[in-house]
Amino acid sequence: MTQQRFFRAARITAAGLAVGALLLTGCSANQGTTGATGASAESAFLTIPREDMGTFVQNFNPFAPTVNPMVQQSIYESLLIFNPAKGDTTPWLATEWQAAADGKSITFTLRDGVKWSDGKPFVAEDVAYTFELQKKIKGGFEYLETVTAEGTNKVTFSFSKPWSPALYDLGQLTILPKHIWSALADPGKDANAQPVGTGPYTEVDSFQAQSFVLKKNPNYWQPEKQKIAGIKMLAFAGNDGANLAAANGDVDWAPQYIPNIEKTFVSKDKEHRQYWFPATGATINWQLNTAKAPFNDVDVRKALSMAVDRDQVTKIGMSGYAKPADCTGLSGNYEKWMNASVKDNCTWTKLDLDAANQLLDKAGYAKGAAGKRTLKDGTPFEFKISVGASSSDWLSVANVISQNLAEVGVTAKVDSPDWAAVVAGYETGDFDSGIVWSANDPSPYKYFNTTMGTTTVKPVGTKTFDNYHRFGDAKADALLAEFAAEADESKQKGIADKLQEEYNDVAPLVPLFSGPEWGAFNDTRFTGWPTQDNPYATLSVKSPTTVLVLTSLEPRK
Amino acid sequence: MRFILRRLGFYLIAFWVSITLNFLLPRFMPGDPVSRMFARNQDRMQPEQIEQLRKLLGVDDRPLWEQYFGYLHNMLTGQMGVSMSRFPAPVTEVIGSQVGWTLLLGGTALVIAAVVGNLLGILAAWRRGGAVDSALPPLLIFIGSFPYFWLAMGALYLFGVTLGWFPIRHAFSDTIGPSFSWEFVSDVGMHLVLPALTIVLVSIGGWMLGMRNTMIATNAEDYITMAEAKGLRPGRIMFRYAARNAMLPSVTAFGMSLGFVVGGALLTEVVFAYPGVGYQLLAAVQGLDYPLMQGLFLTITAAVLLANFLVDILYVRLDPRVRSN
Repeated sequence: MTQQRFFRAARITAAGLAVGALLLTGCSANQGTTGATGASAESAFLTIPREDMGTFVQNFNPFAPTVNPMVQQSIYESLLIFNPAKGDTTPWLATEWQAAADGKSITFTLRDGVKWSDGKPFVAEDVAYTFELQKKIKGGFEYLETVTAEGTNKVTFSFSKPWSPALYDLGQLTILPKHIWSALADPGKDANAQPVGTGPYTEVDSFQAQSFVLKKNPNYWQPEKQKIAGIKMLAFAGNDGANLAAANGDVDWAPQYIPNIEKTFVSKDKEHRQYWFPATGATINWQLNTAKAPFNDVDVRKALSMAVDRDQVTKIGMSGYAKPADCTGLSGNYEKWMNASVKDNCTWTKLDLDAANQLLDKAGYAKGAAGKRTLKDGTPFEFKISVGASSSDWLSVANVISQNLAEVGVTAKVDSPDWAAVVAGYETGDFDSGIVWSANDPSPYKYFNTTMGTTTVKPVGTKTFDNYHRFGDAKADALLAEFAAEADESKQKGIADKLQEEYNDVAPLVPLFSGPEWGAFNDTRFTGWPTQDNPYATLSVKSPTTVLVLTSLEPRK
Repeated sequence: MRFILRRLGFYLIAFWVSITLNFLLPRFMPGDPVSRMFARNQDRMQPEQIEQLRKLLGVDDRPLWEQYFGYLHNMLTGQMGVSMSRFPAPVTEVIGSQVGWTLLLGGTALVIAAVVGNLLGILAAWRRGGAVDSALPPLLIFIGSFPYFWLAMGALYLFGVTLGWFPIRHAFSDTIGPSFSWEFVSDVGMHLVLPALTIVLVSIGGWMLGMRNTMIATNAEDYITMAEAKGLRPGRIMFRYAARNAMLPSVTAFGMSLGFVVGGALLTEVVFAYPGVGYQLLAAVQGLDYPLMQGLFLTITAAVLLANFLVDILYVRLDPRVRSN
């Protein structure tokens, strides 16, 4: 083969490769493209980035473990919506609900005139069927015995035991149309490419590998609130691309974490860009494995907690965006449940090195040579703080704690393998301590149950998925049972007060700060966003409150 | 022919070893797909749902050896199963929908870098100490040793954001659908420039230096002097006598790189939000999505081995010494 011929062959191969690649991508991307998108309509779509999906798959199945964006926000809707920013509940597909006096059932009255996007009426049968399907495919709802539709607009849920936390659990599950889903051969595995829902934006349009549009539901039950033409989702493989799009003004909503947001995002257009990080996320805790000595000693837990400088933790670790936690353990999400007298008299969640030292001395962990403390068996007071390597913010939180502890003579080493290895250790109880999230429900029941309920404690070696720190308390159990059986919210509040007192006494774990709910927006094209002064929802795009934002925004006039 | 058969046998064994590793390595990682999913959801799932999810996703609880034989059977019959992180999309669909972009980006960048790099290497060696030889290698090595992420971000910021010459994300504009129109093809081309350019920039130095070094050795051979003595045109000596003989290592390297293109360009995909299998592979590893991981590893292994096999055959054509052996 001569040189020219060789290069010619190479050129042809390269060209062939390129055309082949185009064909491949062209074909696959063509699937599901419906209709053409005009450039003129583009300006009216609310554009939102999705930072952890490099590409989209046309799968709108709500049972998928990784659900496509907006499936549970704008396509399907739930019976009610709890807004953690204000602590209020908005009736949605249900107009009212009534718990039975014995706490063993709830009856929801459904809204009249709601239609599915294909024009069929929304009826009580749909609700009953959704829960049947949910239990069959995804499980959960163990307490739920039967769901009965009464007529077209009443649904009664009966439980095997009095169970008050059920209200939000049931009320916030998105409802599916029975006439569509009962016809599917395998609902758990169906791609549901053209979903039928009750939400404001349900019509999938111009679906491509890295973007798709949801257009107006033609049969929405509050047409006066569909003021935007549609929602456009953009796919990004990681925060960097999404942050650039936000900084560049290409997206209207930026729900992902943006470092140094004042400078990188807001300063580019102060008039239109805002961020708001309400402390409604879960409480982030430093958990100590109470199945191990010395962490089974309440004095040790409290002393270590007193040695932690939470201001420094939130300032250095969380860039000042988080709010230090107190001894109720409750985050901003539970504002209305907080026990003021406990909150105002916190001791062990405030930085106090003298008290920490005294408590450790008293508990029998004396300072030895070089100011280092030893355990009761004479070994050095040393342990690990495990955090996943990819969470740079929590890693610096752990480092701050480690430095703080050195001041009371305790050595804590930060251990940061991959998150998977860290969580595997948490699950089987093979860890010293770690930085973890906690339950974040409308009701504080789950938070207290998973931090100090005996039923959630599993022995070391047996996998558990909550209560990693393995702490149970009999007194809390009694209060929790009482709480679950009490349907009246004002009485629940009294029990929650006692739970907080118990929490304050036993210190099941070390609360650090309320996790912020990230969110920023650019109101150049759309107005009506939730803000600190008008907290009708948070700025999350993955929470039940998202639909409140979608039905409030309107194009700028 | 015997040579090819022998190579084929070798590749079959290599293939078996690598698919066995593909099977074992993910299973040595701690945790399982469902508990990872649970941890990532950070308590938005109920613990009671875990068993059900395990059943839905088809997480295998059989003994390892039984899983292994099932796995071998599936691989040989081309059944790669259903992806867990992209459930319920089949693995073939997840890979198939993105591998085209990966091939387009990786292939274009590789061909440009290899062709231009080799030509520059040939020129540099031919005129040793000339302008090309003294200026380019240090410059290209300088650029090539930047962290790729930084270089890509810089290029994106300068050419995409500040100057606005090129689009800053995705493989084509979301306002036009894929079609075989000039508009779409040119749009894809514009979106390809920055990602491909940055890959070319960091890889071209290696090609150039490699070619330059072998070429210098070849230039010292007697047959070059002989060709010069015969009075052949310099261009003919440069390409047909020196470059052809110096090209063998480059062909090997090209074959290897061609295979690895299938693995995707993770950092490029992250910075330019370009579609492709690189980010998918990262997500699969993080989520312990065994079927998708196996599918991707299998594709990469097969591509690397296939490319090497083709290079082996090409070698027979290029280098007579291999033939006579």
